[in-house]
Amino acid sequence: MPLDILAQIAIGGVLIGGLYALFAFGLSLIYGVARILNFSHGTLLAIAGVLASILYGALGASPLALVAIITGLALAFFLFGWGFHDLLLAPLKRRNHFEASVGTVLTTVGALIVIGDVAATLAGPRPRNIPLRSDVIEIGDVLIPVSQAWMLAGIALLTVVLQLVLTRSWYGRAVRAVTQDHVGATICGVRSRAIHGITFGLGTALAAIAGVLYAMVYPVDPYTGFSLTVKAFTIIVLGGIGNLVGALAAGLFLGVAEAFTAFFWAPEWAPALSITLLLIILVAFPNGFGNTRKA
Amino acid sequence: MLSLDRIVVDHGKMRAIWDVSLDIQVGEKVGLLGANGAGKTTTLGAIQGLYPPQSGAITFDGQPIAGRPPAENVAQGIALVPEGRRLFPEMTVRENLEMGAYLRHARSDLRRTLEHILELFPILREKAGQHAGELSGGQQQMVAIGRALMSKPRLLLLDEPFLGVAPLVIYDVMDALRRVAESGVTILLVEQNIHRALDFVDRAYVIENGRNAFDGTRERLLGDPEFGAKFLGLD
Amino acid sequence: MSRVNDPVAAIGASAAAARRPAPFVGAIVATLCVGAIALVPLLGVPYVTSLIFTLLVSFILAQSWDWVGGLAGYVNLGHFAYYGIGAYAFSIALAAGVPAPLCFVMAIAVVSTVAAILSFPLFRLKGDYFAFATLAILPLSELLAFNLVRLTGGADGVVLPPKYVLSQAFYTALAIAACTFALTVVLARSRFGYALKSIRNDEQAAEVVGIRIFPAKLGVMVLSAAAASLAGAVHAWQLSYIDPPTVFGLNVALVPVAMALFGGSGLLWGPMIGVALLFSIQQALLVNMTMLHATVYGLIILMIGRFMPGGLLRSRLVRSLPALRFLSREIHLDRQEPSRSTSTTRLPLPERKPSPSSELLVCRGLTKAFGGNIAVNNVDITIRQGEIVGLVGANGSGKTTLFNCISKVYEPTGELIFDGRNLAGLRRDQVSAVGVGRSFQNPRPFGDLTVAENVAIAATFRPGGPALPDALSEAASYAAFVGLGDRLDQRADSLSLQEKKSLELARALALHPKLLLVDEVASGLTPSEIRRFVEHIRDIREVYGITVIWVEHIFSALAQVVDRLIVLEQGQVIADAPLAEAVKDERVLAAYLGQVASKEGH
Repeated sequence: MPLDILAQIAIGGVLIGGLYALFAFGLSLIYGVARILNFSHGTLLAIAGVLASILYGALGASPLALVAIITGLALAFFLFGWGFHDLLLAPLKRRNHFEASVGTVLTTVGALIVIGDVAATLAGPRPRNIPLRSDVIEIGDVLIPVSQAWMLAGIALLTVVLQLVLTRSWYGRAVRAVTQDHVGATICGVRSRAIHGITFGLGTALAAIAGVLYAMVYPVDPYTGFSLTVKAFTIIVLGGIGNLVGALAAGLFLGVAEAFTAFFWAPEWAPALSITLLLIILVAFPNGFGNTRKA
Repeated sequence: MLSLDRIVVDHGKMRAIWDVSLDIQVGEKVGLLGANGAGKTTTLGAIQGLYPPQSGAITFDGQPIAGRPPAENVAQGIALVPEGRRLFPEMTVRENLEMGAYLRHARSDLRRTLEHILELFPILREKAGQHAGELSGGQQQMVAIGRALMSKPRLLLLDEPFLGVAPLVIYDVMDALRRVAESGVTILLVEQNIHRALDFVDRAYVIENGRNAFDGTRERLLGDPEFGAKFLGLD
Repeated sequence: MSRVNDPVAAIGASAAAARRPAPFVGAIVATLCVGAIALVPLLGVPYVTSLIFTLLVSFILAQSWDWVGGLAGYVNLGHFAYYGIGAYAFSIALAAGVPAPLCFVMAIAVVSTVAAILSFPLFRLKGDYFAFATLAILPLSELLAFNLVRLTGGADGVVLPPKYVLSQAFYTALAIAACTFALTVVLARSRFGYALKSIRNDEQAAEVVGIRIFPAKLGVMVLSAAAASLAGAVHAWQLSYIDPPTVFGLNVALVPVAMALFGGSGLLWGPMIGVALLFSIQQALLVNMTMLHATVYGLIILMIGRFMPGGLLRSRLVRSLPALRFLSREIHLDRQEPSRSTSTTRLPLPERKPSPSSELLVCRGLTKAFGGNIAVNNVDITIRQGEIVGLVGANGSGKTTLFNCISKVYEPTGELIFDGRNLAGLRRDQVSAVGVGRSFQNPRPFGDLTVAENVAIAATFRPGGPALPDALSEAASYAAFVGLGDRLDQRADSLSLQEKKSLELARALALHPKLLLVDEVASGLTPSEIRRFVEHIRDIREVYGITVIWVEHIFSALAQVVDRLIVLEQGQVIADAPLAEAVKDERVLAAYLGQVASKEGH
């Protein structure tokens, strides 16, 4: 097996793995902080992809347009996520545990149905993508499209920035405080509802960015969302809930492993890998793989 | 400085406080005593803003504060050392203390306040890099008190600060609290152990089933036969 | 704390009387309903028949999901996979020429086996992790259906022999749905059902009162999967064609779950009402709107989640309408007779004469470490029959951990002999069965069950324990003994902290323990309340011969009753002597009692 083919497969795997990690970041952040299982996460991601594809066509298919689209969508989804949390999810926190969790499931599943249907009605159910014509970097015999190299760099940068924000800023401290002891944070003056809302918005913005990047590689339609949510859940559990570095590692590992499975065995079995791995890991580490927290 | 006028607080369907009033002057050390479930913790929570009262008035510095969010109360100088300490177990002692200075008014002075607290509880200086979850009960309590002091409060609400603290350490904590009081911080102390509480405070309110039952200076309470029969086991 | 005005509590209190005639009336109403639905195919409108048929299938799915979700408290997001696998098993068998009744049996067999195997890994998980993992089963099943082309026909699916079976399928579905509902009623009042309700509330506490939790979880999972497989099989029969997206599709998979939650998970009528309403809404929208019907449907689900998060039947609206109120009632067991006459002097406990010479509990080299922190360090203690032993030590000295080691909440190293029997390798429920009862430092009653049910569960699950109705009347005596005699029909989560601690004591006594581990009950009690509690402990020993180890911070409480004091420091025993001697020991004074002993004069 020539080395350059292996490298080519690995790079493809890293790219898709980076995207996986990006889906998972948002969901992991939301679940880790606000303990909300957002079933509509993948759907929001798909909608962002569809919107980006339409806007890209409308704005004249330039790299500048792409940057504007990513920024604009991230901002719009941030506000949408914050509003969604404050209007629909935050009031549930005042209920008892049972009602809060059931209410969250119903609300986010309802949102999933609504968002998917509205988008399909407005934009049509057909898959869309962002067609990029781009140059290719050659390193030996390995070809890397410039656009994909940029995407990888973007994912890496986003990871670093997020990690810094969460560990260094007062917002990040407040997030950790709210996660570890809600009441303790409140009496320090943390407005936990605002922290939850901002975090929900941030997670949704990350979904939007991931959606745009995803549409550069694969076509998306308004109904693809839920399978992406399932994939993101898998990665979160593999990487440890609330653990961004873990999610990145898990995403990359999955991407590369799937790429090799597809190449050496059969492409149709590649998706089985993540699920099988998830079940195995859960059996071996019932509290999550990246989660070293003591009982 | 602080006054509660006939407050009523419900927890969901349960009424925790039926009718509680109290007044505290600047610089006092006041106790809030009573059996478990009498409503002491809820009273502190109502003052801090955790449990907005159904009715009744709470005034602090002459301003009505009932139902105001906790963050604003912290900013105005009320700090709570809560029941069960409520530390952040996976943050270091230093990070826990720094969280106490989360609000803008305290951030600028963070270094100086922190230094002051490490002088008050020297053991915390050694443990500064450890996770709060790994500390003993007494040390955790010191962190909780230190965290509350980081917000530079004028009124400190203490909810059973000696619970789960080894008896030998209780005296260290109590000494530190005396020094805090001497520095001009007003203290409202909730405590189960009535002897210990009366040892520390100038006067106390006793509540029973969510209502005021007794109040007065320690001498008056200790001299009251009815109080003695009910709470000191003298019958 | 006291109640303000709680309509639910009022319902609970009057429920026993109101429910009495229910079995007869219920059975008649149910028969009438089934009869009425049975007439549908006679109308001769295939559209209506297939509509009601789909409704029945949805009900079977939603209700069987709720056995795991509502009763046992495990959110199984992959329930739909059982439906799909059942549909495939049935279709493949039928296409191969197997007679239809046998195909149903095969569907059950295949799916039950799959569910049983999956239960082993899945039930290692708790809460949301369980939900994540079950969600992953759906795409895996779909993938298998796509890829195992030889067995499943891949994307082409399975075509059944062409035959018109709508009315047969309809009556089969009706029968399954009726059985599903009947089983729901039976489950809610059965011993097995109470094992599941305990698990839903608190698994460790359930084990400590003697319930073997894994078989119960496995059982309910297989039961629920079997019902789902029948739903899949009968649906495939009627459709006469299946492919992976129809029976595993992620977009339809959560609908039965949403229906059960919509109506009110865990309530008898919840899934049924949820299915009926959501299904009707969906049909009405499809007929009346040319577009955006899914949007409206989604919005309705969203709004229920936002404003009636416990489900429609738990909403204030339903509770406030007298005609509908019965729908929101939780199922609790009726007690046979009012227990007012039960005297507190005699408990239904065997009277034992302890022989103080024989050892009840021997710990040798007992050690439990968490990472680098050794919480219990090489502890050697011996407890004789009929002793009352105080266990003291500063916080974090290992008292509660030692309790947790004895009751097997943690697995320690070292030797643990109880009543001549080595406890090594025993599970929590087995330890409880050989005679160790305990309370928890932070009380853990089964919150959404009544006081009487809490105690009755312990009684019925002890070895040779009575059936539920008898256990319930027995429970009244224990509750009366701890002062909860007038709170029998109240939900445990409405009790105060102290009352919850008392309830735990009653629950532990109902196990007929030989050894009772009491963890910090006196803190928060007034001195007179403490004295009453001390009397109880004395009674328990004097009359019923139960040995007691009591962890307590309040020294004066222990001083009134203990024969002996064991003092722990950093996980090690530093004193083991009669009280008078122990308090003179210098290490004890320095480590724990310190100035308190001298100051308070003990």
